[in-house]
Amino acid sequence: MFQFIFDALIRSVDLALIAVALSAVYSLIKFPNVALVQYAVVGAFVAMSLHTAGLPLLLAGLLSAFFVGLLAVVFNILVFERLLKVDSAIALIGSLALSMILSAVFLLTYGPTAYRFKLEVTPAMRVLGARITDHQITTLIVTAISLGLFALILFRTSLGREMRATATNGVLAAATGIDTRRVTNVVVFLSGMLAALGGITLAMRGSVSIDLGTNMLLPVFAAAILGGLGNALGAVVGAIVIAAAETVVTNTNVGPLVGEDLYFLPASYAPVASFAILVIFLLFRPRGLFVSEVSRV
Amino acid sequence: MIEAKDIRAGYGDGADILTGISLSADRREIVTILGPNGCGKSTLLKTIAGYVRPRAGSITFGGTDVTAVPIHEKVRHHKVGYVPQTDNVFGTLTVAENILLGARQLAKTEKEKRFAALMDQYPALAGKKTRKASALSGGERQILSLARALIAGPEILLLDEPSAGLSPLMMHEVFDAIGAIRDSEGMCILMVEQNAFEALGIADRAYVLSLGQVAMTAKASDLLEDPAMRKLYLGGEVHAE
Repeated sequence: MFQFIFDALIRSVDLALIAVALSAVYSLIKFPNVALVQYAVVGAFVAMSLHTAGLPLLLAGLLSAFFVGLLAVVFNILVFERLLKVDSAIALIGSLALSMILSAVFLLTYGPTAYRFKLEVTPAMRVLGARITDHQITTLIVTAISLGLFALILFRTSLGREMRATATNGVLAAATGIDTRRVTNVVVFLSGMLAALGGITLAMRGSVSIDLGTNMLLPVFAAAILGGLGNALGAVVGAIVIAAAETVVTNTNVGPLVGEDLYFLPASYAPVASFAILVIFLLFRPRGLFVSEVSRV
Repeated sequence: MIEAKDIRAGYGDGADILTGISLSADRREIVTILGPNGCGKSTLLKTIAGYVRPRAGSITFGGTDVTAVPIHEKVRHHKVGYVPQTDNVFGTLTVAENILLGARQLAKTEKEKRFAALMDQYPALAGKKTRKASALSGGERQILSLARALIAGPEILLLDEPSAGLSPLMMHEVFDAIGAIRDSEGMCILMVEQNAFEALGIADRAYVLSLGQVAMTAKASDLLEDPAMRKLYLGGEVHAE
C-alpha cells in the first residue's frame, strides 16, 4: 500500500511543477501555452549538457532553469504578446507551432536518442516496505522547495499581490498603477523556471528525449484543468488526482477480467486515466475542482 | 490641473469617437461630463486616464505633457487616481489587500497611517477589511474602489460613473463621499456620470457632450436651473427640488 502511495506521490510531483507553471501563465494571459511542456524538455537537455560539461548537478539545474525562464520571456515578448493582440485561439495555435519547432530543434541537436544524467546509482532504500531511491527523494525535495517558494511569493509578497491582482483583473490592475506587462513577464519567467525544474527532475530519474514533452502534454493539461486552469496551486491537487488514477490503472490486477490470475496493464496505458479524467471533467466540471472565483489566483 | 486640447480618439481602426474635444479642470473642483449614451463620455475619461491613446490633441496634468503616458504610469508618477465604472475591485483579494495595492509606492509607516485614516473615514470597510472584496455589496465596492484610489494621495481623481448599479441610498452615500473628498483634500475630480441630477448636485462645472464634441459647458448650478438645457441634453432626467 505504501509503495502505491509513494508511486502516486512521485508521479504527482512529476506533473505538479509543469502543471502549476501552465496554470500560473494561463491566469494572466488566458491561453494554455502548449509550449510549456517543451520548456521542461529544454530545461532537461540544457541541465544535462551543463552537467556533462563538468558543472555540479545543482548549479547545472539552477542555471538551466534560469536560462529557460529567460527563454520563456523572450518567446512571450516576441511571439505570444503579438499573437494575443489578434486572438487567444491564434496564440494557442502559435504555442503548438512553437512546440513543434522546439521538438525539431531537439531532434537536430540531440537526435532521437534518450539521454541520461551521469549520476551515481545507489541501491534503493526500504521505507515501510516501499522501495525509495535517492533521486526520488531529491525530486520530492526540489518540488517541495520550488512550490513552497512560489506560494510564498504569491501570498506573502507585494509582487505576489500584484500577480494575483493582474490575474483577477488586468485592466483594473493597470488603473491601480501596476505595470501588468512587467508582472506578466515575471510570471512567465517563474513558470519557465518551474517547467525546467520539472523536466530536470523527470530526467534525473529516467531519461530525456524529444518525446518527453509530448508524453507529458496530456497528463499535465489534465492536472491543470482538474485544478481549474488559472488556479496555480489547484494544479497541485489536479496532479495528485491524475497521478493516483494513473497509478491505479497500472497497479491494479485486471487478471480476473481477462481470464488470468495476474495481469497488469503496461505503463503505456497510464495516459488512459488522464484522458478519461480530462474528458469527464470537461463534460461535467469544466472549471475544475475549485470553481469558486475566490480560490482562483 | 487637467488640460485637454482638441482631443481626437477612437478604438482600433474605427472612426473617431471624440472629434476635437477641449476640457479643463482645476484643483478643488469637481467637473462632471454628461451627455446621452454613446456621446463619448467614457472614451474621453479613458483617453485622459491613459487607456486610450489620442490620435490628435494634447493632455497636460499640472503643465506636464501626459498625452502618451499609459494609465499605470499616470497613477504611479503623476498622482492620478482612477475608479472604473464596473469590475472596480479585485474580488479574489481582501478589502485590506485591495486598498494597499494602491499604496505600493509609499513607505511602510505612511502606508499604515493612511490606511488607518481611510478606515476611520469609511467605517463600512473597517469591519470587513479581512473579507474578500467579492463579498461586498455594490455600494461598498464603490467605496472600496475610491479608498484604493485615495490611499496614495492623488491630486487628480478620475471617476467613471460612480453611481452605476447602485441603489438610490448607496448612490447618495457615494456622492457624499466624493463631495467630501473635494472639500477635504482639495483634489481635482473629473467625473463621468449618467445620473445628471446627482452629479450636478455636487459638481462645480459640467461639460455636456454630443456626438463626440463638447456641446455645452456651464456651471453646474446653471445647468440645473436651465429647463431648456435639461430637456435638450439631459433627457428630462433633472428635476429641480
